[in-house]
Amino acid sequence: MHAQWYECDSRFIAAHQQPASLIDLGLERGLDSHRLLRGTGLFHEDILRGTTTISPAQYLQLIGNAQRLLATDDSSFLFGQRLLPGHHGAASQALALAGNLRQALELLGELRALLCPLLSPRLVCDEQHAYLYWLDSCGAGPSRRFLLEAHMTAVAALSRRLSGERQPWRFHFRHAEPRYVEQYWVHLSEDLHFGSPCDLMRLPLACLNQALPQQAPTASAVSCQQARTQLEALGPAISLLDCLYDWLLAHVREAPSLERAAAAFGMSPTTLKRKLRKHATSYQEQLDQVRLHVALYLHQIKGYGNEAIASYLHFHDANNFRRSFKRWTGLPPSSLRRLLHA
Amino acid sequence: MPSLLSHHHVKLFAVLLAANLALLLYLAAGDPIAPHDWVLLDILGEGGAALLALAWLGLLLKSRPAGRVTNLLSLGLSCVFFSLWVDCLDEFIQLPAAVHWDHWLESAPMPVGLLLLTYGLYHWHHEQLAISAQMEKRERLFREHLLFDKLTPLAGADYLRRQLQLSLEESRRERQPLSLIAVDLDDFDALNQRFGHAEGDEVLQAVTQLLLLNLRRQDLLCRLAGDRFVILLPNTGESQARQLAKEMALAVEHLAHKTRQHGERLQLKASVASTMALGENAEQLLRRLNLALAHAKQTLALSA
Repeated sequence: MHAQWYECDSRFIAAHQQPASLIDLGLERGLDSHRLLRGTGLFHEDILRGTTTISPAQYLQLIGNAQRLLATDDSSFLFGQRLLPGHHGAASQALALAGNLRQALELLGELRALLCPLLSPRLVCDEQHAYLYWLDSCGAGPSRRFLLEAHMTAVAALSRRLSGERQPWRFHFRHAEPRYVEQYWVHLSEDLHFGSPCDLMRLPLACLNQALPQQAPTASAVSCQQARTQLEALGPAISLLDCLYDWLLAHVREAPSLERAAAAFGMSPTTLKRKLRKHATSYQEQLDQVRLHVALYLHQIKGYGNEAIASYLHFHDANNFRRSFKRWTGLPPSSLRRLLHA
Repeated sequence: MPSLLSHHHVKLFAVLLAANLALLLYLAAGDPIAPHDWVLLDILGEGGAALLALAWLGLLLKSRPAGRVTNLLSLGLSCVFFSLWVDCLDEFIQLPAAVHWDHWLESAPMPVGLLLLTYGLYHWHHEQLAISAQMEKRERLFREHLLFDKLTPLAGADYLRRQLQLSLEESRRERQPLSLIAVDLDDFDALNQRFGHAEGDEVLQAVTQLLLLNLRRQDLLCRLAGDRFVILLPNTGESQARQLAKEMALAVEHLAHKTRQHGERLQLKASVASTMALGENAEQLLRRLNLALAHAKQTLALSA
C-alpha cells in the first residue's frame, strides 16, 4: 500500500488561512500576538508573509493558547463561524458555489486537508437522514471539544449561509453536557444530545438534496478543479489516523492485528505503535472505534439486531458483543434506539 | 486604551524623589551601621510594610483615572509609605543623639497620611454609589467582575443562573411572580458576514444600551450567549412580561444603527419570548425559555 498521509508534525497548513482567522479573533479581543503564538515557533510577521506553512501540532498549540488566553465559553463557536467557507481561494469558492448541501459536504470531506485538517468529516446517508460524523485526525487531546464545537458550528453556519435559512440539524456529542450549554443553544440548536456514542450531526435528507439558490454550475466545476489541483500541490490529502480508519473499515470483519496493519502500511509494528502514540492514541483504541462505528451503522441504518451485528463482526456471541459495546461506550446496546432516535 | 499609569507620572516621581531625599539626608547626617549589627526582624517588618505600601500605591494609580478621590488616596498612601521608609532607614543608618528632626520625619507623615486616606475612602464610597447607580439593571446586589463578558459589558450566563436562583427563592418566599424575557437578533450571522465581525460587536453594544434604556429599575439584563439576551423581571406576571417583550422587539426594530465604515442604516429585528416561573429550578426555566424562543423563531421562518 502506497498511501501517502500527513502526520501531526507534517508542515502543510497555510498559516495565513485558518490559523490566521483564530489569530484575528484573538487580536480583536485584545490579546497580544506574542503570547498567542508562544510555543508555536512562529511570529506574526511569518504569518503576514503569506507563505508560511505550519503542522497540525503547531496549529493545536495555537488553539490551546487561544483557548487559555481568551478564556471565554464562546471562543470555539466564534472561531467556527469564521471557518467555512473561509478564505482559502478555490476551495472556499467551490464550497460557496455548491449546487446543494450534499455536494458541499462531500467537497468538505474531499478537501479536508485544506478546509479542516484537524478533524475529518464523514458523511453517511440512509433513506431519511444524512449523518455527518467527525473523527480526530491528528490527536487533538484536550482541544477535542473545542475543535468539535468549532467544526460543527462551522458546518451549521455554512449550511445556513448557503441555503439562506437555519437548517434543522440535530447534534450528538460524546462528552457530557457542559456548564455553558447556552452557547450550544445559540450557536448550534436546541436539538442537542450529550453522552452519545459518537460525535455526529444529523439532517433530514430532503434538506441535503435541496437545490441551493446560488447555482453556477460552470464556475462551480472550475473552482472544484482548481481546488483539486491545489490539494495535489499540498501533498497528502488525509492523515495517518484517517488512513488507518479506512483500512480498518475495509478489514473490520477480520479484526486484524497490529502486525497486519503495520505490514499493510509498510512499516514495522514498533514504528506504527510509536506513530500512534505520537497522535495520543493506540491501535486497540482505533480498532475499537471502527468496530463501534460499524456496529452503529449496522444497527441504525441497516436495522441489524445484536445477534446479526455480533456475527457480522465475528464476535463469539451476542453477549460478547454486548459486553464490548458497553466497554466502548459505557452504555448497553439496548439504549441505542433511544439515543439516536430520541 | 492608554495606560492609566501615564496620568500619574508626576505623583510617582514626587514620591520617589522624597524617598531619595530622605535617604540622602540620613546619609549626610549619620553613619551606616555595620551589617553584623542589623536587626533582621525589624528590617523585614518595617521594610516589608514600606514595600507593601508602595505596591498599593502602584495598584491604585494603575487602576484609577485621575481625579479628586485618586489624589486624596494616593497622597495618603504616599505619606504612609514615606513614614515607613524613614522608619526603615534608621535600621541601616545611625544618627547622632543630637539630631531630633528624624522623629518628626518618621512620625509626622503617618497620621497625616492615614487622615488623608480616610477622607479619600469616604469620598470613594460616594463615588462607588454613583457608579453603582450606573450599573443598575446590569447587576443585582452582587458583584463579580469575572462573570462579566468583555464585549457588551453585561453579566453572562453564569451570573444569570446565580441571580435567577436567588430571585426564584425570593419570589417563592414573597409569593410574587417572576418572569424572564429572551431577546435574540434575527440574521445576526448574515450581518457579521456582510459588515464584518467588528460591526457585529458594535451592534451588540448598541443593542445592549438600547435594552438597558427600555428596562425598569429592578430588571436585570444579561447576555446569555452570542446575540441572545435574557432579562430577569422580578415581581412580574405573564401578561406584563409579554408586553415588555413586545416593547423590546419594537425598540430593536426602531433602532437606527449606522455602520462605522459607511454610516449605512442597518435594519435590525429581534425575536422575543417570555416565560413565567412555574416552580421549576433555574436551569429548567432557562431551558423552557429557550424552547419558547426557538418556537418563536420557527414561526418567523415559516411566515417568511
